[in-house]
Amino acid sequence: MLQSLWENVAGKGKKDIRTILKANMLFKDLSPKGLRFVTDIVHIRHYRTGETVFRQGEIGFGMYIIAEGLIDITTACHRGETAVEKEEILVTRLKPDDFFGELALVEENGRRSATARAIMDTRLIGFFKPDLFEILERRPGTGVKILLGLSEVLAQRLIETTAKMAQLNEDINLLKGGAGK
Amino acid sequence: MTARLDNESLVRILTVVLILSATISVLLAVDNLLLAFVLAVVITYLLTPFVNAMERAGATRSIAVLCLYLTIGALLALVAWFLVPTVGRQIAGLQSDLPQYIEGVRKLLTDLEKWLPAAFGDIFNRNTGENGSRVMPVIYNYLFRDLSGILSVSISTLILAPLFAFFMLIDGRSAVKKLIAIVPNDFFETALNLQYQINAQVGGFVRARLLESAIVAAIIWAGLMLIDCPYTIFLSAFAGLMNLVPYVGPVVGAIPAFLIAIINNSTGADLLLILAVYSVAQLIDTAFIVPLVVAKIVNLHAVIVIVVIIIGAQIGGILGMIISVPAASIIKLTGKSIYRHLVGFRT
Repeated sequence: MLQSLWENVAGKGKKDIRTILKANMLFKDLSPKGLRFVTDIVHIRHYRTGETVFRQGEIGFGMYIIAEGLIDITTACHRGETAVEKEEILVTRLKPDDFFGELALVEENGRRSATARAIMDTRLIGFFKPDLFEILERRPGTGVKILLGLSEVLAQRLIETTAKMAQLNEDINLLKGGAGK
Repeated sequence: MTARLDNESLVRILTVVLILSATISVLLAVDNLLLAFVLAVVITYLLTPFVNAMERAGATRSIAVLCLYLTIGALLALVAWFLVPTVGRQIAGLQSDLPQYIEGVRKLLTDLEKWLPAAFGDIFNRNTGENGSRVMPVIYNYLFRDLSGILSVSISTLILAPLFAFFMLIDGRSAVKKLIAIVPNDFFETALNLQYQINAQVGGFVRARLLESAIVAAIIWAGLMLIDCPYTIFLSAFAGLMNLVPYVGPVVGAIPAFLIAIINNSTGADLLLILAVYSVAQLIDTAFIVPLVVAKIVNLHAVIVIVVIIIGAQIGGILGMIISVPAASIIKLTGKSIYRHLVGFRT
């Protein structure tokens, strides 16, 4: 515990964080100077096995990049007749270098659409709205590059969602056609 | 595992509380430290936009702060060069005239003592004149005989505050980040966002109120100069300082000018002119400066503001009155965020 607390305070392993950030879509276009600046701003958080990073429905303020460990993303689904009974469905399992929660960077008091939980001891890099605002205020050039990266990520998510919707529509039409015959 | 997590959260929360309590205790225990700290925070909020602008231009934060300090130092030296003769003359004038003013106030209180019982009966039958003549020399002694003591306090504050502000400007953010790093995972995002909101709200408030007070002081200074009133620098500076206290401040800020005019046996027309100067300043403040500069930065109800000012005055005098409103808005914001975290945060 003391070690994780000390690492949180001392910001240990900055070079390692820089490498992880450089590999991320949001920060890939940053100059070495910009990357150093962002490294000083982001937050390192440690989670134990089973510890929840955030819960579905909570107000979120930012995103996390996995530096070490694994994260399960789950959503609660109503089960059976009563609305009270809920079942957790595993959406995806995220590994090092993956990131999640980025929608909270652009939403105003947006709520988390899923729950994130560490399934082993995990180290995360947190990047939040106040951090983005600070970068935009002090280094607008770096901030704009991050925003462009974020737009790219959101556009990609939109394309994926649209493709999934089209696939679902196709499946529904197929089912309707099948039922009609 | 849950028990271990709970223990860890508890240790983290206790560490944060301990650090904050220790800081507040030291500030309260050591003489002049609280005043120097509050002033340093004010300086930090005032200079942060300039430091950020210099950083945007490509300077590192340390270089930006250093350059800004050197520029401000040079500007202050220049202003002092021009103002010292005038301020010196006004201090010397005030020192020689003060016994006369003390006698005038005593006479005024004695007259009031005679007039009030006649108008309102026995409830105002107090020995105000006698009390006044006892209190006034004490104030005089405090102001001029103990001047060396006051100066040493002011000088230590005036050296400490910019020094603290220097380090706050350079390392303030990383110190806050280190403190927030200790917050348990469960409250981390809320704490970070809360700190950001408080910082933005207090920063905006401090900058807006100081700008407002400076404008009001400048208007009063120009007005008093126009009507040829003595001690314009002191009176306008006092009015500007008191303007930081909402509602009661502008009234208190105008009192010395009226007292001086009454004691100098000024005519009714002179008093009306002084009233006009202070009223015009307040009108401009209310009609233009507040809507443009202050707006609704601190959204507190007028009744709450007055209660908060009274509490602030009881705890910390004039300084307490000035910092009570931003302190109340911080408490309101914190309470709202904690409530949202506990009730609205989880659905």
